[in-house]
Amino acid sequence: MFHMILFTQWKWSRLILLPAVLAAFALPLLSVQGAGDPNRTAWEARSLLYAVQSWGVGYPVLATAIALAIAMTAWGADHRGRHVYALSLPVPRWHYALQRFGAGVVLLALPAFALWLGALVAAATATIPPGLHAYPGAIAVRFALALGVAYAVFFAITAGTTRTAGYVLAIIAGIIVVQVLTASAGIELRLIPFMGDRLFLWPGPLEIFSGRWMLIDV
Amino acid sequence: MSHAIDIRDLQYRAGKSFEIRDLALRVPTGSLYGFLGPNGSGKTTTVRLMLGLLRPLRGSITVLGAEVPRDIPRILARTGYVPEQPHLYTTLTVDEALLFHSVFYPTWDWTWAKELVGQFGLDRGRRLGQLSKGEMGKLEMLLALAQRPELLVLDEPTDGLDPVVRRDVLAALLDYVSQQNATVFISSHLVHELERICDWVGVMDRGRLVAELPMQSFKNGIKRLRVANAPALPGDTPFVVLAREANNGASETWTVRGWQAPMSQYFDGVGASLREVIDLDLEEGFVELLRTFREPPPSARA
Repeated sequence: MFHMILFTQWKWSRLILLPAVLAAFALPLLSVQGAGDPNRTAWEARSLLYAVQSWGVGYPVLATAIALAIAMTAWGADHRGRHVYALSLPVPRWHYALQRFGAGVVLLALPAFALWLGALVAAATATIPPGLHAYPGAIAVRFALALGVAYAVFFAITAGTTRTAGYVLAIIAGIIVVQVLTASAGIELRLIPFMGDRLFLWPGPLEIFSGRWMLIDV
Repeated sequence: MSHAIDIRDLQYRAGKSFEIRDLALRVPTGSLYGFLGPNGSGKTTTVRLMLGLLRPLRGSITVLGAEVPRDIPRILARTGYVPEQPHLYTTLTVDEALLFHSVFYPTWDWTWAKELVGQFGLDRGRRLGQLSKGEMGKLEMLLALAQRPELLVLDEPTDGLDPVVRRDVLAALLDYVSQQNATVFISSHLVHELERICDWVGVMDRGRLVAELPMQSFKNGIKRLRVANAPALPGDTPFVVLAREANNGASETWTVRGWQAPMSQYFDGVGASLREVIDLDLEEGFVELLRTFREPPPSARA
């Protein structure tokens, strides 16, 4: 059963997965493109770190984009058929949803693996100044975790009805409106920073996306 | 008599305008049950409730001896379902759709599935999104039949199909029923189609079950009577007067349900005379039944 669910999901998402895998492979290579000079001084090592760090934002953004696309394709066909087919199959709903989720996780392993390979190649080909180290395994694991967290969030949202997605968007829009209105009224209400801290700082559920994403670091 | 489907005291509301109220419906095991009703009467909603796709507000639904929604996976494993709208994944090919569907059903019959693919003239490599409406209808029926179900629930299975495809689909269905002692529940507004194949009929209108009886009783029991010197108030009739219409002169046309030949004595007793008994086909009977349900004639209520 799972292999057929995986097959359908592969069929729906393969056109997304191919560029996703390429992007995941290329990102670590691009981030160290300036690290080829073996005679780097300490100052240049610092500029290398800045360069690597500037590419760092690409990892969570890429993970989020891939996870969103895969989550949307996971339920797209069911949405078009108003979920009648899935609901009329003789499996418990939670079981079906879990298998769809699992199939997505398996597919997301491809870009995660591609990023690990890219990071290994980047670490092997770049000349890293003394005192700095490459962490291809760590960044690949972190990327895989970010993919998993983002996929779980988007999977849950896209599994629901359009109304559910509307509620989620309405809540986000409501928070922004309240923040704008209070700011224009001169009231100091740091709603968005507060929410951001709760979500993106430890122990927030989205903490994995924050901080520095460094393939090469001290 | 055992029942493949047993619905009691069912209540469901969709928005403010539509409601299924106090629905009780019993489909005898092994029967071909035609579920008739005009568009919007609640047929599809009833089907979705009995398959656990919707949750009722009240009431109980038992399908193949198991309770909905508690045992729904077990029920669905033994039920073939053809929905009103095509619901399959359109990016799959016919072959892939068969493969996908088959893994969910332990009773799936590949030999018969392949036979039906040939019989229906389906191209196994073609994407479902490229199939015509008729081909899609055949594929839906194929998937429902090849899982060798004990119960087939068909929601407008031939709606919009051309006569040739319709004949193919119904022939495959009847072929299956003749092989197995399966129960078939067909929801449709195509009265003539059900008249030919069904042995039980249930009529739904405005969210309520208007009538449920053997097809033969339904067809034989609804008559149009030409009555001369009809009484103003019919009194205690041994049949149900569905409608009365005045003709030219002193005669009236009565549409009645539950008619049997010996009941003609009733007219002698009230000083009227029965001139003619006219058989109605199912469609005419269906229309009269709905008309009476919606607007009972004052004379019939008297």
